[in-house]
Formats: sequence, structure tokens, C-alpha cells
Amino acid sequence: MMKTDKGQRTKGKIFVFLFLLFAIHCSLFTVDAEAKIYIDITSPSAKKLPIAIYDLQGSLGKEISEIIREDLIFTGLFMYIDKASYIEGPSQAFNPQNWTPLGIEAVIKGNISVEKDLAVTINLYDTSEVKPILSKQYHTEKDLFRQLAHTIANDIYLALTGMPGIFRTKIAFVAEDEGDKGLYLMDWDGQRVRKLGLKGKLVMTPHWSSDGTKIIYSSERGRQWGIFLLEFLTMKEKRIFVSKGINMAGDFFPQGDKVAFSSSKEGTPDIYILSLRDSALKKLTSTYGIEVSPAVSPDGNSIAFVSDRGGSPQIYIMRSDGSDVRRVTFEGSYNTSPSWSPKGDRIVFSCRRGKNQICMVKPDGSELLQLTEQGNNEDPSFSPDGRYIAFSSDREKIKGIYIMRVNGEAQKRVSPKGLNAAGPGWSPN
Amino acid sequence: MRKIMAKEVKRNKIFGAASIALVLASFMLLTGCQKKAIVQPEVSQPSAQQPEAMQQQKGAEKVTEQKVETVKSTDIASPYAEERRGMFADILFDYDQYDVKEAYKPEMRKISEWMAKNSSAVVSIEGHCDERGTNEYNLALGDRRAKSVKDYLLSLGVPSSRIETISYGEEKPACMEQNEECWAKNRRAHFVILMKAGK
Repeated sequence: MMKTDKGQRTKGKIFVFLFLLFAIHCSLFTVDAEAKIYIDITSPSAKKLPIAIYDLQGSLGKEISEIIREDLIFTGLFMYIDKASYIEGPSQAFNPQNWTPLGIEAVIKGNISVEKDLAVTINLYDTSEVKPILSKQYHTEKDLFRQLAHTIANDIYLALTGMPGIFRTKIAFVAEDEGDKGLYLMDWDGQRVRKLGLKGKLVMTPHWSSDGTKIIYSSERGRQWGIFLLEFLTMKEKRIFVSKGINMAGDFFPQGDKVAFSSSKEGTPDIYILSLRDSALKKLTSTYGIEVSPAVSPDGNSIAFVSDRGGSPQIYIMRSDGSDVRRVTFEGSYNTSPSWSPKGDRIVFSCRRGKNQICMVKPDGSELLQLTEQGNNEDPSFSPDGRYIAFSSDREKIKGIYIMRVNGEAQKRVSPKGLNAAGPGWSPN
Repeated sequence: MRKIMAKEVKRNKIFGAASIALVLASFMLLTGCQKKAIVQPEVSQPSAQQPEAMQQQKGAEKVTEQKVETVKSTDIASPYAEERRGMFADILFDYDQYDVKEAYKPEMRKISEWMAKNSSAVVSIEGHCDERGTNEYNLALGDRRAKSVKDYLLSLGVPSSRIETISYGEEKPACMEQNEECWAKNRRAHFVILMKAGK
């Protein structure tokens, strides 16, 4: 048990060293975790952050600022304070004292220079300090000014909430196209609507791969229902499955190597998995009735689908190998079109309450919520951050694409007025 | 706080290794990285990319977008040159049902007799639904309706090779108003006689 003094001292030094290492480790970690979060978006009772957004100085400044404002306001997390109450001139230096008496907590300033391209400088201030918490330059071609504004909004949103924004995402949908049905793409806010050119007598809801490079959809062409895949990188369309009867996409698995779909090739509509590598087909259900609309969970382990095996169409969940089928919805006699939240903690679907409404439920069947009330509402699809839902509605007579917050607030049509549109699929990025 | 403790530990270097180990162990166990726990835990992941990191970014970010060109659909032509509609009456269904009602069986016998006399004809049964359902489920329901009719025609002796089915769900209503009378007309199986080119 005897130890020399020297030995003890060496050990002591080692421990001190270890201790310091530990302390450094802690301080490194706390720097990360201590980074200021202005809005805790996970808290349901979070107060809206009062924010001032100047018109950027320079040409297109008004337009760009308006897009940033609309993006941030739609989140429901910000209280936009009107320009009229700003004391500080737009080109004056930022001074917290001009803002704190107004109760404003964040200020966005910036300017634009336009030569061949657009060059924008953005400063985001926390009114409790003089230095900007975000100061960034951007440049882009003039005709990408909407994308530029959405990129700025994403950066501001990240700086204030710690979470990535969805302001550059898109919605794919189906609408009338010269007497046929065609696929369209628009920005999430309904702007820049463009036809993809892909048509059929009928086309059903497109579904995105998790990397956002592909969509699958079903289309009736030449008296046959086929499942088609479009690669955005090459803009090549490929028919990946066809048979007699109906074939309906369906959903990608998270790795993008397989799709789940519904086919009546053996008589009644059943759920299948198709490998995109070797075209191997696996049948997951076999009942006398209808099994349709498979939605793959974000972890790829489960599939939600619609079945009328209990006498009326209801949402069921099974494992991706077809085992462990259990019913999720019990309320109402018509529950269809399931779609998963990005975290896999909710399923949103169309529920019949007189008319078709959008409902949301936990995968275990608890916490059922009805989110819409007006008109018929169908085909819900989550935004990639799980905070918003796109859906189709006929509340203004003609069917259109609408978006809302996940709690049902701020419902608005985003597709062009008068365009008969349905089947939205919100892009993952 | 952490700094002070570190200094104290330094000053007391002469203490036995065991006691330091004890202090250390208990410090680690009890406090851990205490600060981290206090800070809002929900937002720990992406907060790594915080404003400081952005400020350090050199030069301006170039905002770009992948161009989406318009493309053309893969064209798939129907093998049939001729379609004849309206030769036979529609078979109507009850709401959300796909069984063929007794009342329509005489009409089905008419079809099977006609098919026996016209041996080159193919009959396509189109399944339709009223607009109240949702798109995908209606497409499946229309498919089931067409299949029910097909099954009955098979039982009357029409060969399977001469019967096709297709579902249009709610997408091709026969009647456009939003009332029960109209919906009843839309929940139908519709017959189209198809002739191949050259026959």
C-alpha cells in the first residue's frame, strides 16, 4: 500500500489534466447548447416574436422583403410590426434603443445592388445587442429573386428558431392540362406555377422520394393504369409498373430503392412492394376487399394504408413485411388517404364528417383531431419540417391546393384561382 | 464556477490521488456537463450552425436553382381502333357498394348474348364512382365495380380474354350536379365495345 510522494504527485497531475479535459469538454458542449434560441418552436404556448422587416434598400427591395415577410408570418411564430412605427431610418445605423421601447425583439435590414446580378446584404439584429446576429451576403441572377428571398427567409428562420425553414420547398400536384390531366410544380407559396408536360387521361397524386430527386405517380394512358417515375435530374419519365386493373402509387421507401403501391392485377386491389433495382415484386396483403393508398413511415418500418376489410374504408398500419396489421381509425365510416408526418409521430388523412375533412391521429390511434371544416378536403401531405399540411379542397367550388399550419390555423389556397387542381405532394427539400 | 474549481484542484495538488479521484468522480457524476442540461434541450441539434458560424462565412452565397425543363409523356396508344358507347345500359350501384344488384341481371344477359354473336368484339367495363369519396379509394372502388360486373359476365360464359376492365374513379362523372339523383347515375359500370384495328 506504500506509495511514494512522487508517484502520488504524478497521479495527481494526471487527474488534474483529466479534470481540465473534462471541463473543456463541458465548455465546448455548452457553447453549442447555449446558442441563443429566440423562439422555441416546440413549445405550443410560445409567444410570437415581434419582428421589424425593412424594405431592402434598392431595386426589387420591396418585392424581396414582402416575400420574406409572408414566409415568416405564415409560420405563425412572428408578429410583424408595420414599417410605419419604425423610428430608425433604413440607412441609419442600428441602435437597440430605437427598438426596445417598441417591444420589437428582432430587426431585419439590408440592401441590394443590381448590376448584371443581384447582390444582397442582410443583417439580422437581436434588439438586446448592437452587433447583428446574422450578417450575410447573397448574389444571384435577377430572375431568381423569389428563390433568393426564400433563401434569406430560411437563414433568418434558422438563426431565430434553430430549425431549418421550408421556404424553398415545392409542391407537385395534378391539374387540368389541355383537356387531359397533367403534373405541375409550384413553390410552396403557390408562386411560379409550371407544367411539367407529363400528362394522361387521368393522373393521380405524385409522391416524392426522400431526397427530392424523384416522384412517382399513376396515370391512365391508352386504357391502362401504369405507375410512372420521373427523375428531376434528367427529366426522364419511366413506366415502372403496368398490369391489368388499377395500379396506384404509392410511396417511396426512405432509401429510394423500393416503392409501395396498390394493384388489382390479381383481382382485388392489394398492397405490393416493387424493388426499383431488380423489379422484384412482393405482395403484402390478400383480402377480398380493397387495400389502397400505402404510405411508408419515415423510418421505413411500417406502412399505413386503407382497407375496407372491416366493412368501411379505414386506416390500418402493418409492418413493411406485411405482418402485424392493426386498425388505426375507428371514428367515422370513411377514413382514407393516409400520409405520415416527417417524424413518424402523426398520420394525417381524409376523414368523412358529412363532407371529407382533414384529420390527424397518432399511429396508435389516439389524439384524433379534425383540422378542416369547409368544403371537401382530401390528399393531405406534410411539409418536411412537419409544421404545415398541404391538401386539396373544393371550398371555393373549384378544387384547389391549400396549405395550413399543423394545428389547422392559417388555411389558404395557394394554387392559382380557377385552376382545377388536386393531389398535392410537398417536396422534402 | 468551473474555473474556480479547477484552480482549487491545482492548488491542492498535494492531496492524495484517491481524494482527487473521489472529487472528480463525484463532480462528474453529480454535475456532469450541467450547463447543457439547463439550456433548452429540444433545439440542441441544428443549433450547431448558429449565427457566428454564418458570420464567418467568406464571400456571398450564390443562390441557384436546378432548372426544370418541360418534358413529354411516354405515349402509350390504345390497341383498339374503335370504341362504341351506349349500346348497353349502365349498371348502377349503391353508395360505397360493389355488388351487382338483381335488377341488372337481364341487361347483363343481353350483353353476353351480343358478345356470343359478335366474336371479334371486346367489351370494356368502366367502373365509376360518385364524387363524395376520395380520389384513390374511389379508383379502387371503381375497379371493384368493374370486376363484379366482369365476374357476372364470366359466369354467363363470356370468355375472360374478351372482357377488359378499367376504373376512372370519380374523374368522369356522367352527371354533373351535386345531388343524390346525380350521384346515383355516377355510381355505375359503363360498357364500351372495342374493336381492334382491321376488324
